[in-house]
Amino acid sequence: MSRKLVVEAYGLTKIFGDVKAVDGVSYSVERGEIFGILGPNGAGKTTTIRITIGILPPDKGEVYILGYNVHRESVKARSFIGVVPEISNPYPDLTVWDNLMLVGRLYCIPKRTRIERAKKLLKALGIQEVCNRKAKTLSKGMRRRLLLAMALISDPNILFLDEPTSGLDVISARIIRSMLLELKKQGKTIVLTTHNINEAGMLCDRVAIMNKGRIIALGTPEELRIKFGKYVRILLSLNKEVNIDIIKDKFKDSKVVVRGKRITIICGLSDLEAVLDEITNLVKSRNLKIEEFQATGPTLEDVFVELIQGDVQ
Amino acid sequence: MSFSNIRDTLNKIFTLCLKDAKLYYFKGPTIVMGVLMPMFLWLAFTIGAGYSLIKTLPMLITISAFFASSSITPVIMPWETRQKTLEMLLSKPVTIYTILLGTALASTLFGILISLSLVCVGLLFNLIPRNLSLLILGIIISSLCYSFMGLSFAAIPTDIPADTVFLSSAVRLPLVFISGIFTPIQKLPYYILPLAFVSPLTYLSDLMRNIYYGTSFLNPLLDLAVLSLLTLVFGILALIANKATLTKRL
Repeated sequence: MSRKLVVEAYGLTKIFGDVKAVDGVSYSVERGEIFGILGPNGAGKTTTIRITIGILPPDKGEVYILGYNVHRESVKARSFIGVVPEISNPYPDLTVWDNLMLVGRLYCIPKRTRIERAKKLLKALGIQEVCNRKAKTLSKGMRRRLLLAMALISDPNILFLDEPTSGLDVISARIIRSMLLELKKQGKTIVLTTHNINEAGMLCDRVAIMNKGRIIALGTPEELRIKFGKYVRILLSLNKEVNIDIIKDKFKDSKVVVRGKRITIICGLSDLEAVLDEITNLVKSRNLKIEEFQATGPTLEDVFVELIQGDVQ
Repeated sequence: MSFSNIRDTLNKIFTLCLKDAKLYYFKGPTIVMGVLMPMFLWLAFTIGAGYSLIKTLPMLITISAFFASSSITPVIMPWETRQKTLEMLLSKPVTIYTILLGTALASTLFGILISLSLVCVGLLFNLIPRNLSLLILGIIISSLCYSFMGLSFAAIPTDIPADTVFLSSAVRLPLVFISGIFTPIQKLPYYILPLAFVSPLTYLSDLMRNIYYGTSFLNPLLDLAVLSLLTLVFGILALIANKATLTKRL
């Protein structure tokens, strides 16, 4: 249990017909981190996760979970993981409780432990009141929480989640996110896919951005912002309105939006110094006062859009 | 494989078997194809030919074992694919073989349950088998054999249970008429005989005739041996075929 890398994927490739769904993907996940795989729809995130957990065999490449080859020693490797697949359901005609007990038995968890854990999980995920209801009567959010409980009943070292909050109501999404952060505190490793950039920025220690089956960037959200973020957004509020043509002339190399006394300037990182000088000149020369000033660096979303658009071009 | 691994695997197979029994024994196709159909076939033949219902009960036992144990296995995989529970199961520490064996066990137990219930009905009406242990052994082995046969149809990578029910019915129904159930093998036309010996139903039918009427074409031990061999063949076929088409389901 002293391994630093708990998930290792090397050169994963999967081809469906003429489509290369996953193209030479390699990544590793360290113990205790939340690792996110980001990408637009059809980027290959779900296929990557399915190969990683051993549901789909890769055409090329290998995956190791805690040192066990997922495809050669699948039962052993999967005994360490909990999975919430995107396209999956609990048994609709079994009750919430029976679904949990079924999964617990498949992990060979002793009865008493199984029951104790199930009770704790149902409470933590706010679904204890529906434990005798059939899964088919649950809302999507509750079903997703049940799937998370089913993934956690074995107290796994590593948790895989494919689009954990996709299409969920705000409350369910919040419950799941706070559960994930709580699990991280407990030292669990979490691998998740999402196309929700804010969620990834909020939860993940490191992210891999995928497009067209390939990983096009990998690092911490901060590293990616520094490495790939090209623009800075400056929000300026002046005490008087200034003629729009003058402003556009001063900042002709940047994108400028003027709404009354509020000016938004989006400029390249390399132009930042010059833009700040121009702002100072403008204020001094026209005897203006700055009432509000805000400069924000590139967000993860900016980086994501930049990378995907760059990749498309 | 260590003892604890074997014990865990058997435990998982039994868990999946219980799940299948709970979920699928009372589904429409199971009841229609596994219970009602053999009963109507038997009633149509017996009443139509003016035979005694009790004396022809062994025929019902034979076709019930056949239909009941081969009625659940073709539908579970498509059903689980459609419900999207198969992927959930596969993400747990079980192999596809464990899942398939759980299904086969549930189906076998269903066949045994229905057949033995009919044996009990016969006993109530003084229809006594000449060799009870041979009867029970025959029902167990044949139910397993037919269950694996049904599981082979489940390899079609579809998520529509009707597709596999259609194919399995198209194969199973004709077998009833060429396997010496309503007409003893000795009286079948000579050109049907090769087909009769290919049919797995022939050997249970022949065994039943021996156990209840004392007349059979083959030695009962040979019937059992062929049924055991066919169980092995269908078992291997079902596991390999389902494994081969699994990725098309996901």
